[in-house]
Parts: sequence; structure tokens; C-alpha cells
Amino acid sequence: MNAHLLKLLSQKVALHQFSIERKVSHLNHDYLDPINALNVPEMADMTFAMDFLMRAKEGVRNTAIALTESASPDLRALLRKQLMQGIAMHQEITELMIKKKWFHPYELREQYKLDQLSANNTIMIGNMKLFPGETNRKGMFDRTPDSL
Amino acid sequence: MDIQRLAPHESVDLHEIINFKTLCVAKSKLMQGLVFDQDLKALMQKDVQQSIQDLTELQAIYERAPFEAPFPESRPTPILN
Repeated sequence: MNAHLLKLLSQKVALHQFSIERKVSHLNHDYLDPINALNVPEMADMTFAMDFLMRAKEGVRNTAIALTESASPDLRALLRKQLMQGIAMHQEITELMIKKKWFHPYELREQYKLDQLSANNTIMIGNMKLFPGETNRKGMFDRTPDSL
Repeated sequence: MDIQRLAPHESVDLHEIINFKTLCVAKSKLMQGLVFDQDLKALMQKDVQQSIQDLTELQAIYERAPFEAPFPESRPTPILN
């Protein structure tokens, strides 16, 4: 009787510890486990928006560099126009991200938390086995994909 | 009348911008299939349209690069194998 109670109790403790670990660490490499789907839409959108913002930034810089390398008047005019458009697009993305609370340029503590969270979450995804080992799908085409 | 050729340094930078813009079109297009937020998706669609416009304008000027050459409509032979 006593032994049975002890066994039940230890099982309960183990179960409790397990659920705490799941809640706290999130370090679970099973991509089918629903715990890993928690906040995924928000996290995914934040990542895509960050990529979008970086591309806009990079585009502005690339265009500015090209502009200072060019001499042809029509090329200069085109790059100048695209630079202005790029700056406007960068502003739109920044404002959207601030509105959605994916970007906190004025609250660095908040930004710090987001940085660390997305880094950790992405490292976890990076360590998951998501794809089959063999990804050569060329056999699915009825002929060489590149041939006419 | 001879067409006004681009200088080499302009052409190399144009090459970089064209490849960057090409990737931007591809990425903004692909990501629209993955995003959840509809405002973000709409902004990405705007970016696709703007980048296509930019890219075609850049291509037109790129034709005046000193290393310009005729190219087929699609790749006639595989790069590898």
C-alpha cells in the first residue's frame, strides 16, 4: 500500500516536472508537437517583416552606392528615383513593424527581448530535422528541367 | 548614330543592383505565400510591383553595358551535367 502510494507520487512529480520543462524551455525538437505551434504566426510574421526591412535598408544603400558610381545622366536620374522610392518603402515597413509591435526602436529593452527570443526560436528551428535527406526531385520532371 | 555606352564602373554596379532587385522580387513574392498578417502581405505585394517596375527600367539601361551580349529567351542548355 505504502509502496504503491510512493510510486504514484513519484509519477506525479515526474509528470509535473515534465510539463514545467515543456513550458519553460520550449526546447523540444518535435515539429509535430503542438507546443511548438505556440505563437508561430506572430513569430513567423516578425521574421518575414525583419527580412523585408533588412532588404529595404540594403536596397537603399546599394542604390546610393551605385548612384555615386554613375555618370550617365539617365542612369543617375533612374537611380535617384529608385533611391527615393526605396527610402519611402523603408519608412512604410518601419511604421508597420512599430504598429504591430514587432520593432521597438525607442524601447531598447523590449527590442532586446524580441532579439533574444527570435534568435533562440530560430536556433531551435535550425536544429530540427524538417526535410527528407534526399531532396533531388529532378526525377519528377519528364525531361531535363533546363532543356528546351 | 552610335548608342551611348555605359562606363565599366557603372555597369558593374548596375549588375549588382539588378541581381539584388531580382532576389527582392522572388523573395517578396514567395513570402506572400507564408505570411499570416494581411497588412504585411499587402506591403509585400506593393514591393513586388515596385521592384518589377524598377527591374525592367534597370534592364533597359543595362543593355548599354560594354559587355552586353545577345541572350536566348530561356536557358537552352543546362549549366551543369
